[in-house]
Amino acid sequence: MRYGGDNRGRLLIIVLLVTSLFLITLDLRGVQVIDGLRTGTQTALTPVQKAGSWLVSPFRNFLSDVTHLGRTRNQMEKLTAENEKLRLTLQNRKTADAQLKQLKGVLNLAGTAGYEVVNAKVISQGSTTSFTQTITIDAGTSSGVRANMTVLSGYGLVGVVKYAYRDSALVQLASDPAFKIGARIAGTQQIGILSGQGTRKGVLQLLDNTTQVRKGDVLLARGSQNGRPFVPGVPIGEVTSVDNSPGAVTQTADVKFYTNFSTLGVVAVVVSGSSADPRDSLVPPKPRPTPLPTVTIYATPGAVEPTPTPTATK
Amino acid sequence: MSLRRFFYSFPIFFTVFLLQEAVVTQMRLPAGGINLLLVVALIWAALSTPEIGALTGFGAGLMMDVSQTSPGPMGHWTLVLIIACYAIAFLGYGDDNIRGNPINIIFLVTIGVVAAQTVFLLLGMMLGQQVGSVSNIAFLLAGSAFWTAIISPLILKVISFFHANIFGMRSQL
Repeated sequence: MRYGGDNRGRLLIIVLLVTSLFLITLDLRGVQVIDGLRTGTQTALTPVQKAGSWLVSPFRNFLSDVTHLGRTRNQMEKLTAENEKLRLTLQNRKTADAQLKQLKGVLNLAGTAGYEVVNAKVISQGSTTSFTQTITIDAGTSSGVRANMTVLSGYGLVGVVKYAYRDSALVQLASDPAFKIGARIAGTQQIGILSGQGTRKGVLQLLDNTTQVRKGDVLLARGSQNGRPFVPGVPIGEVTSVDNSPGAVTQTADVKFYTNFSTLGVVAVVVSGSSADPRDSLVPPKPRPTPLPTVTIYATPGAVEPTPTPTATK
Repeated sequence: MSLRRFFYSFPIFFTVFLLQEAVVTQMRLPAGGINLLLVVALIWAALSTPEIGALTGFGAGLMMDVSQTSPGPMGHWTLVLIIACYAIAFLGYGDDNIRGNPINIIFLVTIGVVAAQTVFLLLGMMLGQQVGSVSNIAFLLAGSAFWTAIISPLILKVISFFHANIFGMRSQL
């Protein structure tokens, strides 16, 4: 027998739908109680998330190794030769080293620019079910973190603090579709607006259509008034392709973010920008080719032994 | 009577909410991962009457709305889940071909997750949210469907057990 419904059931559905619409209206009108609900929930959830992060850490490391099987094959072959205890120790060490490397990178970047930063560990990555890109960090208002502060990794921009709670903060990643930042191209100083696209690729829209953008151009944050939400000079990414369609109103370019958002472990929140604009000083150096050692052997017939002459070629 | 029984299910959903926020979000599953609360709510609705389905959607939607990662206004997920859970419960109610076969429930829930996310997306666009590129949306929706199809069979028996204990043994698979 199919369900036909009755008056009481219909009334219940109507009441529930109206309630949800009422909640949407209240929230869009900025009623404080609704904001308080989310803040309260997050404050209560932070210790649980920290415990969860600690619990899930071994499984997450394992999953990460499986996901990056191709890249870590040699390392994994080496590890399989060792016993279980050594493997566990090595994995723990790997995690600590990766975090240390990220921390060194971020401190180097912040130190060069003269930013005052608060370091934080990523304790949760937001669900993408709602089509957003966020992370939760373990530093909040008690550490001086406030909303609208720039968040960095060792490679450059990570995002911006969206909400700050007592002991944690929600960071909107630069890859979030709603994320927008004023950017300038290092060297030429052309300015534009960079938008997140939900992936590691962003789209730069230049404000002046007569200027030229080239593949490989480096993008830096243009900065905001009083350094919030964005401090100036933070490296964002590199232009990977340029759309030069004739007749287009604005010139656009695809940009690859320097930061890999899926491997974030340690980040830094800029609590105070430098007194002077670092200009282009944070542009990452171009990779230099490593000298390849070669050995030339001269073989002389009848000689007793060959004389190797090492040379270095670039 | 049903309403009183419905409130017994609150601890179950609260536990799932905590699991989602504290554990599932830590795993960084590929293809966007899964929202456990969404899947559990839809399975629960598929085993319930339409009224209980709508109430389940209301409760689970509120929990998803208070989550800090929810980008929309409060009530956004609530509205979507009331409709989705009611629709799933309505489709399954009184039809033993659907409710008696776990594969049908898994299929219904997988479709329901994708449909709920699509409605959420459309509603979000109407409310002025940025949703990103079409390829990314398609990738995330496909990822959600994949993970739901993987996880649902694993948790269906457990949810069915709890549901049967609260609402009576008829709903047990």
